[in-house]
Amino acid sequence: MGCALAQPYLVKLTIDLFLSGTAHAPAPYFDPLLRLAGGHGLLMMGFCYLLMVAGEFTTFYGQYYLTMAVAQYSLSDLRIALFARLERLPLAFFDSTPVGRLVSRSTTDIDAINEMFNAGSLTILVDLLTLAGIVAIMFALNAHLALWSLCAIPPLLVIINLFRVRARALYREIRDRLAALNAYLSEALSGMAVIQLFTHEAESGREFELLNRRSRDIQRTANIYEAGLFSSVEALSSVTVALILWAGGGEVVRAMIGIGTLVAFIEYAQKFFFPLRDISTKYTVLQSALAATERIKDLMEEVPEAAGAPQRAAPRAALGSTRGEIVFDQVSFAYRPGEPVLRDISFIVEPGRKVAVVGATGSGKTTIIKLLARFYDVTSGRILVDGRDVRAWDLRELRRAIGLVQQDVMLFSGSVGDNLRMGRTGLDDRALMRALERSQALTFVRGLPHGLEEEVIERGANLSAGQRQLLAFARALAYDAPILVMDEATSSVDSETERLLQLALEELLADRTALVVAHRLSTIERADRILVLSKGILRESGTHRELLAQGGLYRRLFEVQYAPPGTGIEPSAA
Amino acid sequence: MKRLLRYVARYRLRYASGILCTVLTATLAMVIPILIRNAINAVQQRHFARVPGFAELIVAAALGMGVVRWLSRSIIFNCGRDIEYDLRNDLFARLLTLSPSFYERLKTGDLMSRMINDLTAVRMMVGLGILTFINTPLYYLYALAFMTSLNGRLTLASLAPYGVLCAGIWRLAHTLMERSLRVQEELGRIGARVQESLAGIQVVKAYTAEEHEVARFREINQTYNAENLRLARVRGMLMPLIRGAAATAAMIVLIYGGFLVTQHRMSLGDLVAFMSYLGLLAWPTTSLGWMLSIYQRGKASMKRLADIFEAAPVPAPSDDGQWGLEVAGAIEWEHVWFSYFASPGTNGGADDGAAAWALRDVNIKVQPGEKLAIVGRTGAGKSTLVKLLTRLIEPTAGRVLVDGRDVRDVPLARLRRSVGVVPQEPVLFSDTLARNIAFGCPGAPRAEIERAAVAAGLVGDLEAMPRGMETRVGERGMTLSGGQKQRVTVARLLTYDPAVVVLDDALSSVDTETEHAVLHTLGESVKGRSMVVVSHRASTVRDADQIVVLQDGVVAERGTHEELMARRGAYAELFRRQLLEEELASY
Ligand SMILES: Nc1ncnc2c1ncn2[C@@H]1O[C@H](COP(=O)(O)OP(=O)(O)OP(=O)(O)O)[C@@H](O)[C@H]1O
Ligand SMILES: Nc1ncnc2c1ncn2[C@@H]1O[C@H](COP(=O)(O)OP(=O)(O)OP(=O)(O)O)[C@@H](O)[C@H]1O
Ligand SMILES: [Mg+2]
Ligand SMILES: [Mg+2]
Repeated sequence: MGCALAQPYLVKLTIDLFLSGTAHAPAPYFDPLLRLAGGHGLLMMGFCYLLMVAGEFTTFYGQYYLTMAVAQYSLSDLRIALFARLERLPLAFFDSTPVGRLVSRSTTDIDAINEMFNAGSLTILVDLLTLAGIVAIMFALNAHLALWSLCAIPPLLVIINLFRVRARALYREIRDRLAALNAYLSEALSGMAVIQLFTHEAESGREFELLNRRSRDIQRTANIYEAGLFSSVEALSSVTVALILWAGGGEVVRAMIGIGTLVAFIEYAQKFFFPLRDISTKYTVLQSALAATERIKDLMEEVPEAAGAPQRAAPRAALGSTRGEIVFDQVSFAYRPGEPVLRDISFIVEPGRKVAVVGATGSGKTTIIKLLARFYDVTSGRILVDGRDVRAWDLRELRRAIGLVQQDVMLFSGSVGDNLRMGRTGLDDRALMRALERSQALTFVRGLPHGLEEEVIERGANLSAGQRQLLAFARALAYDAPILVMDEATSSVDSETERLLQLALEELLADRTALVVAHRLSTIERADRILVLSKGILRESGTHRELLAQGGLYRRLFEVQYAPPGTGIEPSAA
Repeated sequence: MKRLLRYVARYRLRYASGILCTVLTATLAMVIPILIRNAINAVQQRHFARVPGFAELIVAAALGMGVVRWLSRSIIFNCGRDIEYDLRNDLFARLLTLSPSFYERLKTGDLMSRMINDLTAVRMMVGLGILTFINTPLYYLYALAFMTSLNGRLTLASLAPYGVLCAGIWRLAHTLMERSLRVQEELGRIGARVQESLAGIQVVKAYTAEEHEVARFREINQTYNAENLRLARVRGMLMPLIRGAAATAAMIVLIYGGFLVTQHRMSLGDLVAFMSYLGLLAWPTTSLGWMLSIYQRGKASMKRLADIFEAAPVPAPSDDGQWGLEVAGAIEWEHVWFSYFASPGTNGGADDGAAAWALRDVNIKVQPGEKLAIVGRTGAGKSTLVKLLTRLIEPTAGRVLVDGRDVRDVPLARLRRSVGVVPQEPVLFSDTLARNIAFGCPGAPRAEIERAAVAAGLVGDLEAMPRGMETRVGERGMTLSGGQKQRVTVARLLTYDPAVVVLDDALSSVDTETEHAVLHTLGESVKGRSMVVVSHRASTVRDADQIVVLQDGVVAERGTHEELMARRGAYAELFRRQLLEEELASY
């Protein structure tokens, strides 16, 4: 920067000393220098100039690289922090926030901030310093002229302020519209097969176009503002030169300053606007980055899941010692206030017992499981695991105690092994193989070209639905938790495989607590206890025999399931 | 690149006017130094009276320049926006035609990154890129012309460093492009990671894998950083190189020009003017560097977009109206072989090449109005068989016929309009329930939507929701229960009202009571249509006209329930327990 600043001064010296020939006496301290240079004054000046340029080169490169490095690292820190925060947000957050929007936040929005570094907006500070330096030099050269050259500042401030007021809202809107576009895109892409199957392409295309247009229109407006700001700074730069000429010309004529000073002034004035022009471009980028930062900040301020109290007495080894007792004590729950999904549910699962939950669809079975794993917090009542309220558990310890097979199977891209391990390094292939064998997935995994190393693609799309479910099952078994929770874990699996699976499970479940949700009654009739849920209320509870004898809801379910076809929903009385 | 030019050509008029404004801007920008020179010369010659006139001219030129510059920038940048808009629409339109195999190759998040980040890079190229592309040579041309008119030899001398510069830049260009491509790819991976991890957040949480996910994410970020810095190392060289060249040129002018002035072969005013022309070159020279990195990045991004543009859509005849509206509903699989791998037997890799075949020589015929049931163990190929009907996949060998016509000869939209599928995995969109149900025919009358909801057994569920049909569901239907999602997809099929109804294990998450009710009403409302049902439940398949048992991609048995039971083969084995329990229950 210093090098850049000094260059016009060198030009002034050269002109005043060697070229102008006017009797304007050079400052006395240059005399020895001049004598030293002898007749080669010009060459020497040139050499100095070259040095300065080389200095500028290295500093510029260094500065650029350093800013980039700093930017990269700090941005990726930000991105990682954002991601880590997102991973910790409660499920309720994801119920209402499309993933695409979050992808937008962690890529494009962060990119907008990156743009700021790229455009060197960090060097706005440097620019400001340069400005200050130039102003100082101008004042040192000639205060009067310097004042003239600063005339352009007030109108500039007015323009920038005008821009600023409008820009904030504009850039915020840009980020939001882009996020909406992204969210739509993400959903459409992951549901593409359905769009095509239902020949919904034209409609989807239109909807996308609308979002795209909304995003474009606002950006066009922003462009017009940006161009305006940029052009006015440019124009002001030349106006300033005119002012200097007009004011300075007179002074030269009155011999108050040398012509060299005037030229230097003009050069400085142009240099003065160089950073200003930079600032004006950077300013727009900065505004956009600010809007992005705001959006990211909003996300960072979302309240993460309560981590729960860390376990005091129980060290890590105690994990295996979780007995697996589950108590629901008058639990009520609503996803949305005023729409209760569970009402006053109470039951106890003794350690090592198998309890089944049955009920019509939408009756709240999955919800019970989500509450147990503390994906959501109860609205009233409490849930105890091993006698301790789940809210008092360390969240991670709690979830480590529960092996969960969810109703909606989710696999990730990566190898089959990765999907079973879910990040736990301690699991060797043998353990995985055992889990696969028990879950009846071994045969098909063996049949895959690369076995455990076979690549699964996003959502497991290269496997059949039943295979996915078996893998999810194996994943839960490999987790080796004292409590096993299976939510419709075999709904897409043929009954023969299911039978084998159950046989294999029996041994495994001997000393574990199990909570099973299933529609196929064959899956559950051997449970120690069956809970019958209806519209969020626990209606019946007992063993298969007891419930059949009771002749209530369960019996009806049972009869319907095995009623000959054609009789509709009428129970075919025994 | 050629593709991009076509888009640019669409806006040629606007580009032309933008370029005109740019030329005007450059011209005015060149006039100002002349005015300054004249003013300085006037000062030097003590003709001060002439200075204010020059000053006024400068102000006028500056204001005029401000206006045209504003116009040129807004016009050209907005062309960039419009091209981005067009490209994005066209890309999306293309994406709408691509088959599942494409989506297996590229991840959702990566595609999104292409549609957003790579398009941004392309837009920069046709906006700022084009502006500088016009500006730079223009400024050079003007400046050179003036400089030559002042002093030809000085001009030549001052250009020497630029020659060296161009050679240097030429060598950097390729590296720049290559590294830009890598950066864009890594950015795509980041997007894909976020997308996938958050889409599966429930599982991540259930398995307390958050830290693992973050660690993996950190890794990807590190690669991205490394790639970015590799790019920065080259890109960082551009600016200083260019500035260095400019400064060297200035120095040459100063020394050589100074020499000329002392020799009285050039006036001081001319030298100052000469220097200010050189100064004017600084900006376009700087943007030369930008232009280069913008261009290379845009080129890299265009390459990534080409992956989408060049992916072949499912080939199908255009809809020429020959195909009658009415489809009787005869379906046939004729010697169908299918493999998910491009070259079965080699890619499959297992002991015998046959392992790679998902279907082998399947022959099934369904008469109009018949109900076909497909059963088989997990992974037997049932869904594969069904996917062939709607051409989500194409048979490797053999044919699939609808009403006696090869599906490949039927316009795709017609085919998919006649064959309606409830896919095995329920996928809904984050919209209201009503719009999800009417997905297949937007604008369906309310009564019809409601009838479909009733038939799918959704009434009870809707009653529990205060907003009823207008309830918005989460992404993929996240805020519904498993069975509710499935029934919404059934209702969706009912409003679609296809000639052939295909249910791929569509009610697996629904309790038996509801399933019976739904199947009952469903049977009523699609009476007389052909039906293909895949199910694991005996109760669902037993009344089919024809039951096919698939085993490892081969039809092992076929017949009616009674026939198959009598054979005591694979079918009987498959449903042994279910049927046993059934028997027990009927005592
Ligand atoms: N994330 C959510 N936000 C709002 N409502 C929800 C959410 N998840 C489920 N519900 C509602 O809560 C009720 C109970 O859902 P739940 O998933 O517990 O049912 P279920 O008994 O598991 O049914 P199924 O057998 O169909 O899986 C349903 O009416 C459902 O619409
Ligand atoms: N996109 C794909 N790429 C590669 N292989 C696939 C793909 N889709 C399915 N497969 C394989 O093809 C075979 C048949 O799969 P398909 O989905 O047809 O089974 P299915 O009979 O429907 O099973 P399920 O009862 O579990 O739904 C399976 O072995 C599966 O792993
Ligand atoms: Mg459920
Ligand atoms: Mg299937």
